Amino acid sequence: MSIEIRELQELIVHEKEAEQKVRKAREQAEGILKKAREEAESTVQAAESDPHQMKSREAKKEEIARKKAEIEKEYEQKIATLNKVAEENFEKAVAFVTKEILKVES
Amino acid sequence: MSVLELKSEIQRRAEEEASKILENARKEAEKLLAEANSKVEALRKEKTRSLMRSLETEERAELAISRMDQKGMILQAKSQWAGRVFEEAGKRLAEMAEKGGSDYRELLSKLILEGILKIKGNKFIAEVDSKDVDAIKKELKPILDRAAKIRNEKIELEIKALSTDSMGGIILSTEDMTRYYNNTLEARLSSARQNLAGEIHKIMFKAGE
Repeated sequence: MSIEIRELQELIVHEKEAEQKVRKAREQAEGILKKAREEAESTVQAAESDPHQMKSREAKKEEIARKKAEIEKEYEQKIATLNKVAEENFEKAVAFVTKEILKVES
Repeated sequence: MSVLELKSEIQRRAEEEASKILENARKEAEKLLAEANSKVEALRKEKTRSLMRSLETEERAELAISRMDQKGMILQAKSQWAGRVFEEAGKRLAEMAEKGGSDYRELLSKLILEGILKIKGNKFIAEVDSKDVDAIKKELKPILDRAAKIRNEKIELEIKALSTDSMGGIILSTEDMTRYYNNTLEARLSSARQNLAGEIHKIMFKAGE
């Protein structure tokens, strides 16, 4: 087989074009990987500042505030009952204390 | 192999390599994203678990503090009521002493006798509010007779006016002032505050718990 110079030159050009194609594919591949890395990083970062967590925290704060208000209401009721009972028993208690103070050993 | 065939072979190999490179890159990219998603999922689960634990702890602590505060307010209300009871009892005793009626004079006699029973000796000084001095002096003989009967010995008693204002009652001391017994109404009220708190709570709040 004999190859003429012109054909050889054509082959070299062709080879260069093929190398160019492979180089381009490598660049494309790097682009794909770069984009994937960025996307992965961004996904992880988004998870770290998850707005869902903020919502959970807010919801819990509201729940705590509601429960605290319930407790306050419960104890307000207890204090009201206590005041009523104390008012009713006040005279009895004063009479008891006065009697005890006047109780003398002799 | 002809030149044409060589060209075709070069073309085919280049395309094959380029295709392989891109395919590998796509696979690698998919793997990266899958790993990231898996990491995100694990991270989210862990963060949710941790957040829930922290929020529940926070809730328990805040509600416990809230209950403690409210219980404190109940205790404060009870203490205020008990305070009012003793304050009112004090007012009534002061009124009784101020009027100086027969009940009060009898009380003074009893307070002196109680003091004589409590401290050793047979010569005493009873200090009373200046307004009560004359009344006590009038009751002195029956007091001394009863004291002598109780102690089985002759008792001497000197009546003096207290140098400070008093609600009423007496301070009894031995003649040499080495022993004394504070039987003023203030002292008795103060002692009642310490000793009767439990009873007062029972009377005042038994239906309010």
